[in-house]
Amino acid sequence: MTVSRRALMGALACATALGLTPAQAADPIKIGVTGPYTGGSSAMGVSMRDAARLAAAEINKGGGVLGRPLLLVERDDEAKNEVGAQVAQELINKEKVVATIGFINTGVALAAQRFYQEAEIPVFNNVATGTIITNQFKEPDYEANYVFRNSAYDVLQAGMMVDEAVSQGFKKIALLADSTNYGQLGREDIEKYLATKGIKPVTVEKFNIKDVDMTAQLLKAQQAGADVILAYGIGPELAQIANGMAKLGWKVPMITSWPSSMQSFLDIAGANGNGVTMPQTFIEDRTLPKRKNFLENYYKTYGVTKIPTPVAGAQGYDSVFLLAAAIKQAGSTDGPKIRAALENLNERVEGVVTTYEKPFSAKDHNAITRNMVVFGKVQDGKIVYAKEEDAKNAGVVRVKEKSAN
Amino acid sequence: MAIFLQLIASGVAVGMIYAAIAFGYQLTFATSKTLNFGQGEALALGALFGLTMVPFVGYWLMIPLVLVFGFALGAVVERLGVRPAVKIKSEYGWIMATIALGIIFRNVAENIWGRDDLKFPSPLSEEAIQVGGTRVLPMELLIVGGALLMMLAVEIFNRKSIWGKAVVATSNDIDAAGLMGINTQKIITLSYSISAMTAAFAGVLVAPVTLTGATMGSVLALKAFAVAIIGGLESGLGVIVGGLILGVAETLTGFYISTGYKDVPGLILLLVVLSIRPVGLFGKAVIKKV
Repeated sequence: MTVSRRALMGALACATALGLTPAQAADPIKIGVTGPYTGGSSAMGVSMRDAARLAAAEINKGGGVLGRPLLLVERDDEAKNEVGAQVAQELINKEKVVATIGFINTGVALAAQRFYQEAEIPVFNNVATGTIITNQFKEPDYEANYVFRNSAYDVLQAGMMVDEAVSQGFKKIALLADSTNYGQLGREDIEKYLATKGIKPVTVEKFNIKDVDMTAQLLKAQQAGADVILAYGIGPELAQIANGMAKLGWKVPMITSWPSSMQSFLDIAGANGNGVTMPQTFIEDRTLPKRKNFLENYYKTYGVTKIPTPVAGAQGYDSVFLLAAAIKQAGSTDGPKIRAALENLNERVEGVVTTYEKPFSAKDHNAITRNMVVFGKVQDGKIVYAKEEDAKNAGVVRVKEKSAN
Repeated sequence: MAIFLQLIASGVAVGMIYAAIAFGYQLTFATSKTLNFGQGEALALGALFGLTMVPFVGYWLMIPLVLVFGFALGAVVERLGVRPAVKIKSEYGWIMATIALGIIFRNVAENIWGRDDLKFPSPLSEEAIQVGGTRVLPMELLIVGGALLMMLAVEIFNRKSIWGKAVVATSNDIDAAGLMGINTQKIITLSYSISAMTAAFAGVLVAPVTLTGATMGSVLALKAFAVAIIGGLESGLGVIVGGLILGVAETLTGFYISTGYKDVPGLILLLVVLSIRPVGLFGKAVIKKV
């Protein structure tokens, strides 16, 4: 008994001592990175993760944040909602992360970010686009919203796709969307926006993930006299649509949501993908020194000539810098303080997508506004600027619109 | 009319994919009254193995290698998953065992080849050609031709070769075949080997159209299962007809009703067949004496 009591006292003493000792200077700041590093959307997850690694390494080289290095705790959520929720709990309770970046898939974000909200830990969506993501814990139901985002959300993309089709003079719009949360939420956004313009799509069609044959959908669009196709989906199925059109010998312009810039689209569609356009926050060009450095660093570090999914990489890279700036401003790793700092970020953060000046406010948790997004175009296995004026102005940094949201 | 023909053509191509896979179910069911529920994984492994071989030996030489690979794979499944269950006369053991083996195969494939969908090189031009008012991909013609050829080859093997005759004898009456001196154990192994071989071949055949990956077989194998039930698990002709019905039903529903309900008529058909003719459209009604 005496022995065990002594042991207990010793343990207690140790614990107290540990608890009271201020964090050592070299104690790393843990940041969770969650995304699918395997599976159908892994190209996005891996690009995001690899770019985040570069950002963290750069920050650490410059002395870290608050004199402490950043440590990325990477977890694979496999694009599965339930795995994402597990990962969130592990990162919060076991790894005790200060904040988390990531989420490629809207469904995973919606299933997992409630744990961060409850734990009052900021979570930073850098790829997932579902409009609802940043509204899940909005006022007045919640006192503070811990969800931030620096990707182009669906409503914004949907509006761009429609406006692009209309401005090119297309009148008969066929709408194709996959049957997942992502596709159907996007389809809803497009239909709503079309309705405000008094346009009704000539046909609205659905397809499933892993569908092999798009003949029925495309024939319906063709019969309805569509002169443009708006498609909401991810790489492989969007590619099947492009291939299906080639098979039917029917070619109308195709405007898609951003994932047609995924490597899988480029591989599977091949030449059939040429000319497909999609909203992009980032195009691989070396116009600005910051972009040039980022791209060269990425290519060199990972031995590639192209980022698998450039948009995911660029946004992942920027998210680390935004978070680091907020931690610095907060002067602590306390969740509520970091959130407050993010909502009123004083530092101008120079990223590769844009230069962030006051990217967030208490009401607005989306850093990307419409003016920052350009149209990309598939051209022989690469994504280039779809419009000449965008290509010409590539070096101009588009900052957040004041009137946004 | 042109549209209707185009829908039929696409439906036939998809249907033959289902039929080619369903054919594998039918082979093992005939001899042992068991099925390999890992058929979708055998298909994926065949395609992935083929994809790995193509750069070394070229497309056409890869096919025999894939056939050998599938043959061996089927023997493994039978040994590990089916034989122990059949031996102890377990009614359901083989179901769990083949599903488990399928999951293991999928995980192994994911570890070796990753989980991305890969592009399979197409041996033929990817430009569509005109055939009587419809446009089809040369690859789709190859799928239809290849699948029919494969089924024909297995039929000829069953009818002409001594091994094939033993397979037929075993499927007709396993006890009588055993009494006649046929090593039915070996014949069951053989039927599993041929079944996995057809799956692996089907995998290579469809991969240029469906994309290649560890999970490529999951949806296809499920639909093929429906096809096998509709057509009848005992009949080779049945799976072809069943496949065509399901494939054409899908594209026609997609066009004339709604793409959101594409998969529904096939499943309704499945329910109807099960309630009216449980042995399938072409199945032989067998009276089980107890």
